[in-house]
Amino acid sequence: MRKEDTVKLISAEGFEFVVDKRAAMVSQTIRNMLTSPGSFAETQLGEVTFPEISTTILEKICQYFHWSLQYASGKESEFHIEPELTLELMMAANYLHT
Amino acid sequence: MELDSVLVRLCIESACSSRDSVERWRMQRRTLQRLPPQLASALLRRLLQRRLLSPSLLEAFKYCVDEVDLRGETSVDAEWMAYLGGFRYLHYLNVADCHRVTSSALWPIAGMTHLKELDLTRCVKFTDAGIKHLLSISTLEKLFLSETHLTAAGVALLASLSNLSVLDLGGLPVTDQALRSLQVLTKLQCLDLWGSKVSDNGVAALQMFPKLSYLNLAWTSVSLLPYFASLESLNMSNCIINSVFKYHGDKPHLSELRIAGATLENEAEAFEHIEKSFLTCLDAARSSLSRFGFLSCMVGLKYLDLSSTGLGDESVEHIARIGMNLRNLNLSNTRVSSAGVEALAGCVPNLENLSLSYTQIDDFAVLYISTMPALKAIDLSHTSIKGFIPKVGDESDQALSLTALESHHLEKLNLENTLVEDDSLFPLSKLQQLRQLSLRNCSLTDISLHRLSPLTELKSLCFCDVVLTNHGLDSFKPPATLEMLDIRGCWLLTEDAISSFHEKYPQVVVRHELVPVLPQESESSSSCTPPSRITSKSKQVTSQTPEKLQLSANFLDQRLKYNREELLALRYSSLSLAPNNGDNVPKIQLD
Repeated sequence: MRKEDTVKLISAEGFEFVVDKRAAMVSQTIRNMLTSPGSFAETQLGEVTFPEISTTILEKICQYFHWSLQYASGKESEFHIEPELTLELMMAANYLHT
Repeated sequence: MELDSVLVRLCIESACSSRDSVERWRMQRRTLQRLPPQLASALLRRLLQRRLLSPSLLEAFKYCVDEVDLRGETSVDAEWMAYLGGFRYLHYLNVADCHRVTSSALWPIAGMTHLKELDLTRCVKFTDAGIKHLLSISTLEKLFLSETHLTAAGVALLASLSNLSVLDLGGLPVTDQALRSLQVLTKLQCLDLWGSKVSDNGVAALQMFPKLSYLNLAWTSVSLLPYFASLESLNMSNCIINSVFKYHGDKPHLSELRIAGATLENEAEAFEHIEKSFLTCLDAARSSLSRFGFLSCMVGLKYLDLSSTGLGDESVEHIARIGMNLRNLNLSNTRVSSAGVEALAGCVPNLENLSLSYTQIDDFAVLYISTMPALKAIDLSHTSIKGFIPKVGDESDQALSLTALESHHLEKLNLENTLVEDDSLFPLSKLQQLRQLSLRNCSLTDISLHRLSPLTELKSLCFCDVVLTNHGLDSFKPPATLEMLDIRGCWLLTEDAISSFHEKYPQVVVRHELVPVLPQESESSSSCTPPSRITSKSKQVTSQTPEKLQLSANFLDQRLKYNREELLALRYSSLSLAPNNGDNVPKIQLD
């Protein structure tokens, strides 16, 4: 996969997740960051830092992005969420508009 | 408020899936505190629906929730209120119909600093003794106290809640004197006094409310109102009305007037002192009106209900003259016949809803109705419509009257208790926009049901008292959009036929005497009880079936979850468990 097709999402602890740009665009917030006109650092480097989102939650978010793409293409499966993650994940999802 | 984020909804589902899952997040207090109010409210609502909410769990939300709606929750009592009193930022609380909320139960919410709206409707144990707890909440703007156990003395005390803009005192014995003591509430905009003891003497006090725009005086002895400059909506249903307003130089700009069931002592003058052209809604159903000349000035009317009045064909011309803006027209149970409908034809270009039930109209009326281009909903029930237009002389060649409606974008059609037959309903299959259709007629058969299959928008179908056979139901292919099929009174059907239909089309809710009506939350309530043997057994069965993503699965009846064979198998397996267990015990001991 070429570098232009991926985007790097960085968690509060500094962990980096390299995901397919298409998948990351499931989030309306990330989509706006990456496609907004003007030379924002996010648009140029293809990197987004989330100082509010922990690594565990960001990992779950990335899993959801891919599940969501698959679900949209007709592959129906269940997306399992551990109950102890629900509160944090809910807030992150709310922030990311996903 | 709907949550548009899929992931948020998935999270809420997971968080509320069982008691165990709640236990796994409820201790994350810091996270709970940071939860945005709209997410916290959504989570709280779902917990309530799933019957997982307890007073102690409520406490976890005390810093993040600003709106709590517990309407109709019978378990809500003093203990719940004690925790709710600790909600720091609460501005909306609804405990309507919570009959265990007593006067003393409200003590904990006394002195709340952000509460703006409180709904205690039908809390029958709320009495004058509870008023003192409310008086310390000076931020209150909207207060709903209808049908509680307050007396006039208690109502009078409300005068100190000076920020009130909406006050609902419906069904309380408010006296003229109590009303006078409320005069200091100058911010009041909406006031409900239906069923009170207020009289003509007392309503003079209402003039002291400079902002009052909505007033409900239904079921009172008020017969004459003073002049109100600000009033927009007035309800004097079931009153004996002398004149709606007293004479005054100016006329109030009323836009909504409801006088359903009212007796008008002086018909000529009843509407004399209203600026008629501002009126957009007039509900005079069951009133004593018999002359309708006053209508001709009400050019702005959009909603007009004259059902069960003395309206006859000769008065329809008054409606026709002001038909330009009409959207809703209800003429049911009047003396209107097809000739009256003819007078309306061409005069009501914007009419969307028309009700002519219980009138003497016949099939010619259907032809006149077809000249009303914007119609979306028509009620023709209990009339003598046959569906055929009789032609003079030639009996064999009859035109179908319902064909005339084909070019309309009809969404609702009611033909219950008319004289239609299978043959005359043929044009219905061309009404492609139809969402709701009602038929109730013992001369209809299977054929009519089968003709409705091509209606691709149909959501609700009422097909009652019809000679519908098992075979007819079995071979019926419901439209994919169908959600509700009401076949009550189809006495030929057997239980097996209905259940096999249900198996084939589980998305359709079937109503019939043989189908038990299920309480809405039977599954969620069962999750409170400890799992019995049957349920633990049944879980194994479901795990074999492919599980689909269910976002709105707030209710799943056990009987719908399994097909007949599985249920039968379950029945025997639970019976056979006992001897098996007996066999197992000695084995374990041996091991």
